[in-house]
Amino acid sequence: MPNVKIYTTPPCVYCKMAKAFFQENSIKYEEVDVAGDAKARQEMITKSGQIGVPVIDVGGKIVIGFDKGRLSELLNIK
Amino acid sequence: MYDVVIIGGGPAAVGAAVYIARKKLKTVLIAKEFGGQSIISASIENWIGDELLTGFELAQKLEKHVRTQKGIEIIAGELATKVSEIPGGFRVDAESGKFFDTKTIILASGSSRRRLGVIGEAKFEGKGVVFCSTCDAPVFGGKTVAVVGGGNAGLEAAVDLFPYAQKIYLLIRSDAMRGDPITQDEVRANPKVEIVYNAQTDEILGDQFVTGLRYKDLKSGEAKTLSVEGVFVEIGAVPNSELVKGLVDMNQFNEVIIDHKTGATSKPGIYAAGDVTDEIYKQNNISVGDAVKAALSAYNYVLGMKRQSPAAEVSNG
Repeated sequence: MPNVKIYTTPPCVYCKMAKAFFQENSIKYEEVDVAGDAKARQEMITKSGQIGVPVIDVGGKIVIGFDKGRLSELLNIK
Repeated sequence: MYDVVIIGGGPAAVGAAVYIARKKLKTVLIAKEFGGQSIISASIENWIGDELLTGFELAQKLEKHVRTQKGIEIIAGELATKVSEIPGGFRVDAESGKFFDTKTIILASGSSRRRLGVIGEAKFEGKGVVFCSTCDAPVFGGKTVAVVGGGNAGLEAAVDLFPYAQKIYLLIRSDAMRGDPITQDEVRANPKVEIVYNAQTDEILGDQFVTGLRYKDLKSGEAKTLSVEGVFVEIGAVPNSELVKGLVDMNQFNEVIIDHKTGATSKPGIYAAGDVTDEIYKQNNISVGDAVKAALSAYNYVLGMKRQSPAAEVSNG
């Protein structure tokens, strides 16, 4: 199973949806809250070219937004 | 053939579905996603029956409520793209190529965010151009940003940014703020905010990310540029009515015109509710109520018992 890292902010609903999706499918993930962490924020922007959450790193492949189809594909869900 | 196709996944669609479910009609609900536009809201304090919940919680509740209805088929993750007339009813085409034939339709497709339509807006979406201020305000910690829009959504975006941004330009096209007076006061009182009236946004500038915004001062006609790293676009909504264009009457804003007593559109058999309609107050609670009217009217239509004047009922024998 690839390492999953999700960059979030506390009020972001698509982040919550993504985390709920991981939990439903028993996917372990690491969460990085970029709201108060400028270094993590820069890491996310550099990795993704995206200023916005969620950004999800699945084993080095970057998914922007809660793209259920793409995540299912990368994580072999159904 | 279905009796009813419900299009949408927000409060109106769910309201219609819950009522139709009790009528034992052959019904399918087609929803791209559940929850409606307030899904991204950080806090909802006016949903009757809940003193406080998030948009996400409301979305979950709505989805759960509709999924517990027996006898309604649910097609989730699918977008209805076109409605056309067929003998005895209508055909609803969906994004995947599937189609659904039905006697009646309850259109609850809601509305989408209005875009500026200027150069740079699409190019820099997610690269400084933001459409979900609640989600992304915290990512602009210490930055200078612009909020475009002087209505409630624009003011709330500014409020979302207070704890994070270093400076907030609020660009308003007219010479006055709209929005709730209580939020107006909050925005005016915050030293981070600089309000720019009579500002027509013309271009979003940048390279890899947003670096600025060009606007025209509508009073002087002068073009001006602001150095900003974020542009929060909050200029209202457009109804998702494209799929019934030419089939039902609409007003100049492309809102579907309904009879507000029954939810009926100009086309017999098609009913509509919520933000896709010409209802003037775009509110979750109102969408639900209007959808209930539409659902009951659709039921009566299917039964061939359209509510008519007593005279008409008599003349029908």
